[in-house]
Amino acid sequence: MESLYIQSFCTLRNGTIRLNGEPIYGTSENTPVDDFLRSAYRQLHVDYPKFHKMDVLCKATFLATELMARDAGPYPTDTALIFANRSSSYSSDEKHATGIYATQNPGASPATFVYTLPNIAMGEISIRHQLHSENVFFIFDSYLPEFLVPYTATALYDKQVREGLCGWTEVTATLCDVLMYRVGRSGSMAHTVTNLKRLYNDHE
Amino acid sequence: MKTDVYIAGDCVFSPLGIGSHLNFERLIDGESALVPIKNPDLSDHQLHAARIDDAQWKGKIRNSPYYTRLESLFIRTIEALLQAHSIPPDERTLVLLSTTKGNISLLHSPHTSFHGDRVYLPEMGKQIQNYFGFSHRPLVISNACISGALALAVARQLLQYNDGYDHAIVVGGDELSRFIVSGFEAFQALSNERCRPFDRDRNGLNLGEAIAAAYLTKKPADGAVRILSSASFNDANHISGPSRTGEGLYRSIREALRLAGNPPIDFISAHGTATVYNDEMEAIALDRCGLSEVPIHSLKAYYGHTLGASGLLESVLGIHSLRANRLIPSLGFEHPGTTRPLRPIATPVERPLRTFLKTASGFGGCNIALIFEKV
Repeated sequence: MESLYIQSFCTLRNGTIRLNGEPIYGTSENTPVDDFLRSAYRQLHVDYPKFHKMDVLCKATFLATELMARDAGPYPTDTALIFANRSSSYSSDEKHATGIYATQNPGASPATFVYTLPNIAMGEISIRHQLHSENVFFIFDSYLPEFLVPYTATALYDKQVREGLCGWTEVTATLCDVLMYRVGRSGSMAHTVTNLKRLYNDHE
Repeated sequence: MKTDVYIAGDCVFSPLGIGSHLNFERLIDGESALVPIKNPDLSDHQLHAARIDDAQWKGKIRNSPYYTRLESLFIRTIEALLQAHSIPPDERTLVLLSTTKGNISLLHSPHTSFHGDRVYLPEMGKQIQNYFGFSHRPLVISNACISGALALAVARQLLQYNDGYDHAIVVGGDELSRFIVSGFEAFQALSNERCRPFDRDRNGLNLGEAIAAAYLTKKPADGAVRILSSASFNDANHISGPSRTGEGLYRSIREALRLAGNPPIDFISAHGTATVYNDEMEAIALDRCGLSEVPIHSLKAYYGHTLGASGLLESVLGIHSLRANRLIPSLGFEHPGTTRPLRPIATPVERPLRTFLKTASGFGGCNIALIFEKV
């Protein structure tokens, strides 16, 4: 298998967004996650009206993907999407469950229900960047580069695709812990477990 | 060098009973698990759905009260598979779970005594790991309605490139819950009668529940079926509506056929949810691939849409169809009702069968195609 490289990476955590390690947006650590993501959208001059309909998991992964496109160029249409988190789509699950068990006017909204699947985040990104490719959403107890690194390498080799868009995407109403990165066949930072542990831990 | 991967065993736990051969026989007899259900825990309205009866699982596993209903269903199915094939729970065995929502019925439910953490999918994986003493924590995949079929493809890829594993157990399942039923009701996607995949008068889907399990090996055991290829492409079109051109499914099928060396396809096990737009999309994608003349079935009028289990459940029954050289009819179809032609299977005819195509599509625009071949 060929050598792979991390071409760009983006973290969203504790009210701060970093692109390739450099802070590009910051707000107070205690800002509610949705407010943090919405103000980042405005401050970073992203223009995509569908953003406002998204839940927090989609908003966070959308922003990271957008910022890495600015940094490292458009994504090839066959870019494989490999995401993982612990809480799946918990923020939307919670919203939907609260609605259906409400004592007054219980009910379900299609606009909420559609986001009760974690892979919707990959669907939103695919629409925005016109990616026709494989999407896999894993659910792990915690960040697991020991699995994701070899899995991504074999997925890119097996499907003969140029790039992977990967990440740990743990987002709930009260917690945003996102590290997304682009994996490709050129670059200077090797796609290794050690490097991905470092990128994740550097900004704790 | 990539190794071949085979399905050497399987198990199905559905409202029709436990055991994949038994389930196959029931389908050949034309039995459907779908019935009218009036259950205030699931919905304020009467549903047409397929639900596993409590008597089929309650008290049938160790420490039964400790496990949720869905965990009990998973455990009972995995136990049957492990026993039938003497699979060791050691570090050479990879375990994959596919589910869309896991224990979501516990979330905010007024009737549960389980700890809130149990709704998190890794917690469910942990319970199943501990029950069997698996060396590895099960890998969980949650990709909407293609989860079960995708888990097969991911397990195959992991076995092909990783010498650390000898074999894999892939298990898919979801249960009916108010959470899921209310969402599909809000989408106005449910039919109030038995669904009619590909039919002119189709008017929506039925929900169902089942657990399906497959045992994947690198050695061709007796009666094994080889996974020839798999391919998965997103529509990049809409998060909840099927693509009008069937683009992602078309690309998935075309690529799976290419990777398999364009073998003749004896039948197609389609997704066929019986919603107006989904079935139309599938007919377009199949026509674009030149497969309109291939006998096709959807099993949704037998089991309903079993979500995270469906792709795996339908693959397992397709495998039994191959082994028995017998086509499973597409229950519920009477009159053509798609703009492109299809050939739904009308009767359980016997004929030599070697290869079939399984497809699935889901929310988020995801699609998958897998090709299986008898060895």
